[in-house]
Amino acid sequence: MNVAELKIRDMRKMLDGKEISAAELAEAYLKRIEDTDGQLESYITVTPEEAKKAAEKAQSVIDSGNAGALTGIPLAIKDNICTDGVKTTCASKMLEDFVPPYNATVMEKLNADNIVMLGKTSMDEFAMGGSTQTSAFKKTKNPYDLGRVPGGSSGGSAAAVGASLCAAALGSDTGGSIRQPASFCGVTGLKPTYGRVSRYGLVAFASSLDQIGPIAKDAHDCAIILNAISGYDYHDGTSAKRDVPDFTAKIGQDIKGMKIAMPKEFYADGIDPEVREAVEKAAKWYEQQGAAIVECSMPSLKYAVAAYYLIASAEASSNLSRYDGIKYGHRSEVGDSYSDLVCNSRSEGFGDEVKRRILLGNYALSSGYYDAYYGKAMALKQKIREEYDSIFEGCDVILTPTAPTVAYGVNENISDPAKMYQADICTVTVNIASLPAISTPCGYDKDGMPIGMSIIGKRWDEATVIQAADVYEKQFAYVPAKL
Amino acid sequence: MDLEMVKYLSKLGKLSFTDEELEKAAKDMTSIIEIMDTIKEIDITYEPIKDNHNVYLGGLREDISADSFPTEKILQNAVNSESCFVVPKVVE
Repeated sequence: MNVAELKIRDMRKMLDGKEISAAELAEAYLKRIEDTDGQLESYITVTPEEAKKAAEKAQSVIDSGNAGALTGIPLAIKDNICTDGVKTTCASKMLEDFVPPYNATVMEKLNADNIVMLGKTSMDEFAMGGSTQTSAFKKTKNPYDLGRVPGGSSGGSAAAVGASLCAAALGSDTGGSIRQPASFCGVTGLKPTYGRVSRYGLVAFASSLDQIGPIAKDAHDCAIILNAISGYDYHDGTSAKRDVPDFTAKIGQDIKGMKIAMPKEFYADGIDPEVREAVEKAAKWYEQQGAAIVECSMPSLKYAVAAYYLIASAEASSNLSRYDGIKYGHRSEVGDSYSDLVCNSRSEGFGDEVKRRILLGNYALSSGYYDAYYGKAMALKQKIREEYDSIFEGCDVILTPTAPTVAYGVNENISDPAKMYQADICTVTVNIASLPAISTPCGYDKDGMPIGMSIIGKRWDEATVIQAADVYEKQFAYVPAKL
Repeated sequence: MDLEMVKYLSKLGKLSFTDEELEKAAKDMTSIIEIMDTIKEIDITYEPIKDNHNVYLGGLREDISADSFPTEKILQNAVNSESCFVVPKVVE
């Protein structure tokens, strides 16, 4: 059996039809991880023993005829999602030995459906970055070219899906951290509407922007996972008390008459011509299927990176103040006073990028600069939301490139943080406006590297972005990763 | 951004840097602030009244006590603990 070709729903049929056992399926993935992850470095922690036990339990549920959509399906989990009894490091020396005393709500939900967790995937430290090269442990590579980055921050999850080292994975997205690595690794990643999925147990980066979501082989598989993890949670006051629809419901419905907007600023200078052409070609295809392309404008896009980094870093500097080396996390061996101990623990535990974000956040919030930076960024947040609301009055979804370029070399851009920040231009506004968006492959460049396009939806309308992505995927000539 | 500002911000963030690290941080922060400064050119004002901060007030839970974690689970990640968190002596 070639697990690389299987989608979650194929596995479901095989498991329910007794063509394969949950243990055999888990073993096939564990073998692939053992054989190839030494090169790819997508997992920080692999949990074979726990996976075998979970597979046994899943099999008994399958045998009893009570299997859910994900029972026995082998999944990987980003290492900033708390897993009771399994290390959750955030790819940081600060949390190198941290074993959560509880499960994130998404894990409780997935475990209730008896998934098989294969392990925890690498990421940029504390989800701060777009390359997975700020990981303190595993600097994940791209499955299409080991000399290139997988994107980030959920680079381990996206690479593991791209290389078929799991059936699908969970990631988290604060400014593009699900969509951009999905784009770089040639897979599909869905950032849900803010409030759709509980953040309880997701290690906080920027609380008003963070959202957990699936990375999978296609939009249909993403929908299946989103069905399992969505819903109000009393542990998270920002999770929404509203009904959860079946996110697969619109799959297969005709897109004739669908209005697709293309804000011109997303296709301006700075976007690689091959990327622009691939997304425009996809737009033409939609038009041929009966969709209508709507021209529109988002004038505030040029300020979006600044607004995002000011808001996200301000929240990060507050959220990360909890790491004092005393309650949990790295504790320095040097420091006779309380304040010295805290300062030394933080300075030894955090990497360079995390420290930069703390400095930037403190700058944005400090006396004399607050109004000029944080206040202005919050005003821009309102303006960007208004511009999206206005565009959505005339369309159903918005189509943009997911990233300005394809995956770049592992040593490129790392020493230039400002350049790295500007590369987030295509994704950050979605988080600022709390919208759902999916990235799906729409082409390959001259070197065979995947190009992703993003379909952005109205708040709470994940079903339509899934519908639009799925219909494109069904005719797309997908090229699997070489690894 | 000058070294004094980086020192001030690192003090706020309870971080310490070597002289070499400070120089590098100042250089990186200068190029980052150049991007942030682009928002100064736009004349708009934040209206807090229009922002719900994504908190759905209808979803707030009842203020009632519930089960908490056992002490040993909470202390399991503290490097230095003796049935409580241990900090350096604060009062002589």
